[in-house]
Amino acid sequence: MSKSEPQLTIINRLHVLRAERRLTQEQLAKDIGVTRATIIAIEGGGYNPSLELAFRIARYFNTDINQIFSIEEDKK
Amino acid sequence: MKSLDMLLLKLFLGGLPLVAVLALVHEHIGFIHGYAGFIFALWMTLSIFISLRLIFSGQFRERVISRITFIRERDEREALLTGKATKTAFLTSLAVLLLLFCLSCFQVSLYRVPPENAIDGKTGFVSLGVDFDLLEKEKHGRTDDTIAKEDIFTYQGLPVTSSAVILLLLVWQVACYNYTMRRLLK
Repeated sequence: MSKSEPQLTIINRLHVLRAERRLTQEQLAKDIGVTRATIIAIEGGGYNPSLELAFRIARYFNTDINQIFSIEEDKK
Repeated sequence: MKSLDMLLLKLFLGGLPLVAVLALVHEHIGFIHGYAGFIFALWMTLSIFISLRLIFSGQFRERVISRITFIRERDEREALLTGKATKTAFLTSLAVLLLLFCLSCFQVSLYRVPPENAIDGKTGFVSLGVDFDLLEKEKHGRTDDTIAKEDIFTYQGLPVTSSAVILLLLVWQVACYNYTMRRLLK
C-alpha cells in the first residue's frame, strides 16, 4: 500500500443491533456459526470478518451490509 | 482405510506402555528371542507404517496431528489465527534449524603450546573450522596432535544426538505454535 493512500478503518454497529434485539453474544455466535470470541473481536474492532461472514451477519439481522459495516478514513 | 488407520493408531498408542515396560525389563526376560520381541517388532513396523500414513494421507494427518498439537479451527477467525501461528512456528523453526546447523558445523579450539613450540613468541592459539558431512561418521580428533599442547576450550559441533535434536524440534514446533496462538487469541 502506498504512503499517500489514507488508512481505512472498518467500523461496525454489531453491538447496537445485538442490543436492539436483546441477543447475547453467545446466542448470536451460535446462530451465525462462529465462536463467542469472534463476536467479541468483531464488536471490539479487533477482527474484520470476511465478506461471507459479513453478509451472513447482515442476512441474520435482515438488513443491508452497509447498515452494519462502514468505512472510516483516518486523516493522518 | 479411515477406520483401519484409527484402529492401527489405537494399537500403536496402546502398545506404548507395553513397549516401555518391555524396554525396562528386557534383561530379565530376554525378549529379543521371545514372544515380547515379536510384539516389539510388530509395534516398530506399526510405528513406521503410521508415520508414513501421516505423511501421505492428508485426512489422517489432519485428524491426528491437529489433535496432538491442539489445533482448533472452529470458525474463520480461528482459521486465520491458526495460519498466523503456524507461520510463526515455521519461521522460528527455520531460525532454530539455522542456528543448529551453524552449531553443528563450527569447530572452535583454544589451546596453549609449550614455550619451545611457540610461533612468533606466541603460545596461545585459537583454531577455527567448519565441518560438514552428509553421512554420520566417527568424530576424529585433529591429526596434527604431534605437538604437546594444553587444551583450554574445545568445541567440535553439537554434543547432542540426532534423535535429541529431532525431539527438540518437535517440542519446539508444538510449543511455539501454542504459545503464539494463545497470544493471538487474547
